[in-house]
Amino acid sequence: MHYIWKEWKENIRGKGLWLSFGIVILVSVIILYKSTILSFDQGFYILLLTLFDSMIYFIPILCLFLGAFSIFQEKEQKTLVMLLTRNESYSSFLLKKSLAIQAVLVGPIFIWFLIYILPIKFYFQLDGKHYAVFLTSLLTLMLVFNQFGILIGSLSRSRMQIVGYAIITWFYFFFLHDFIMLALLPYITYENVKLFSIAYFFNPLQASRVFLETGLEVYSFGHMSKLLKSFMWVKPGFFLIGNAVLLLLFSFLLAVALHRKEGLD
Amino acid sequence: MKKLCLLVFLIFLTSLAFLKYGYAFGSLQDLIDSAEDGAIIKLEDKTYEGNITINKKIEIIGSNKTVIKGDGTSNVVSIRSPGVVMRNLTVMNSSMDRNSSEEYAAVKIYSDGNLLDRIKISRSFHGIYLSQAHGNVVQNSEITGLGKGEIANQGNGLHVYYANSNLLKNNKITGTRDGMFFDYANDNTISDNEISHTRYGLHYMYSDHNRFKNNIFFFNTGGAAVMHSSGLTLSNNQFIFNYGHRSFGVLLLSANKIEIEDNTFFLNQRGLYIDQSTSSSIRKNRIIKNQIGIELWASSNDQVFSANQIHENTIPAVSLGGQGQNSWSENGVGNDWGRTLPSLDLDGNGIGDEPISYQSSFHQLIEDHELTYLFLKSPAIAVYEKMNALLKKNKTMFEDTYPLVRRGGDSIPLVWLLLGAAASLTILLKGRQWLCITFGKNGRKT
Repeated sequence: MHYIWKEWKENIRGKGLWLSFGIVILVSVIILYKSTILSFDQGFYILLLTLFDSMIYFIPILCLFLGAFSIFQEKEQKTLVMLLTRNESYSSFLLKKSLAIQAVLVGPIFIWFLIYILPIKFYFQLDGKHYAVFLTSLLTLMLVFNQFGILIGSLSRSRMQIVGYAIITWFYFFFLHDFIMLALLPYITYENVKLFSIAYFFNPLQASRVFLETGLEVYSFGHMSKLLKSFMWVKPGFFLIGNAVLLLLFSFLLAVALHRKEGLD
Repeated sequence: MKKLCLLVFLIFLTSLAFLKYGYAFGSLQDLIDSAEDGAIIKLEDKTYEGNITINKKIEIIGSNKTVIKGDGTSNVVSIRSPGVVMRNLTVMNSSMDRNSSEEYAAVKIYSDGNLLDRIKISRSFHGIYLSQAHGNVVQNSEITGLGKGEIANQGNGLHVYYANSNLLKNNKITGTRDGMFFDYANDNTISDNEISHTRYGLHYMYSDHNRFKNNIFFFNTGGAAVMHSSGLTLSNNQFIFNYGHRSFGVLLLSANKIEIEDNTFFLNQRGLYIDQSTSSSIRKNRIIKNQIGIELWASSNDQVFSANQIHENTIPAVSLGGQGQNSWSENGVGNDWGRTLPSLDLDGNGIGDEPISYQSSFHQLIEDHELTYLFLKSPAIAVYEKMNALLKKNKTMFEDTYPLVRRGGDSIPLVWLLLGAAASLTILLKGRQWLCITFGKNGRKT
């Protein structure tokens, strides 16, 4: 618990957290304002999809930076070495630190989007279940990219390395992964489509988007061809859970295995 | 004696009232059978057992809680006489049998000139079925299907079969197989209906010269599928959120001379999907924020696209299977492509100074692989197109000789202005170390 408290105090003194929350709040308010002209019935869904589409442009990169700099700060201020001398392993430290970072970064966004329900309820026909689906997709995305940020922070020995790794990670998931998938598409047959499906849903942006669109019941996978049925071999929710668990574990274990205790001061 | 006379008089009055305004005693069918031609039957706030057949010109009026419940073996209400009026009723529980020789419905109309007003229908195979029935009016009714997961096990909301000159107005249909199904039905008018959560909002075959206006098709697998028909007019309709894998706002398949004017296509997987169709006119529509604005197959020719607003689609228009002979302008009026394909208008006449053409390589993937549609929202498409442009693998999708240019142009969204201002201010105040200071040492300069 004191890790969360420490993380919170450090973050609220900094500008990064406030800048990120500020952007999220500003964008969500402006999108809500622009959506008020939409119809009472359909406006809710259009708002959520537009919001998600906007958030994926900056939530991943902000999470990467915030997570990475939070870990790096422990190296920079030598608190990491101090903590590790008290018979604490790096994995134990990283687990507590990860939980603290996730709680501090995800918690306020969760609270903000709970407050956000009030104006939504005023303007649109709110559906609680569908709103929960939206929150799940967005917060899962945050969890995954926070953890990637923590990995980057653990690997890096300088701030420039953090900037480089963060941009590469963001670029990979935002452009490169799908670009590779598109290049592979002509070779996809009924026999290998499941592998392709796993690779496709390895991208958290795609996994959370498909989960959101099917969860909101705006995207239907009804009347599928045999190929598409094989592609969607489990429900989108399982793809999202699988993606999140896999990437969280992968980032955590890689951070434990390849971490560097000190920066290049 | 006086009392006896009074009693006889009262009995006489009551019997007269029963003859003119029947009240529900016995079964509803008995009541209908005993009513005279032209009688008005007022039903009580209760559930009447069906099934019933109406063989005479009568008016049946229910109230908010009047229900006619079928026994699940046939049609609940069969109208075989012309001029029948039914108002303010709930009709439910028709047969759901898909193997019978007849397709059952909550209300099946076999005659002409009937009026159905404020009828609520649920738990039935088809909702209202017009079978060789002409000049009927169906209005203000609500048809609720079995919904998600049961789409294929049921029929359509409004089924119009060999039926002409009907008016279907202001109805709400949700959760049925197809919202409205037209088969060999001509000269009908369909307006102000709302159709959602169906397979096709409108399924339209072998029917000519019908008019659809002010209808809303949303959350369907396909908005309107128009096949093997001609002379249809679609005006002022909205096709919204028809968003599934390979969904569409409007599909024209083997359809000719279709007039599509002043409609809105918003957030569909494909706004317009045109295959094997000719000589249709697509004018003044708003085709906005779809994954593919217009998907046009080479088997389609002589389409005219003019004065449409085609904005913010991932792909504005794509020609598949080769280039057909279609026109992207008419009488010197092209289309407004917004920021997707900006155009200069130095002489200020509202028409771009140069023709514009749209190049893409993505069409090949769409043609070759159905999973391509999964990537339509990915930012990687832009990279893919740029890479192929460098490798000169792009092909011209269309050329608009007279693109429309909006006066004043698109304004930059406020959000980007604000974000830009915030970023600029931060850089200005904090200098080149802003990133590290912001994300690093608790905001303290070292």
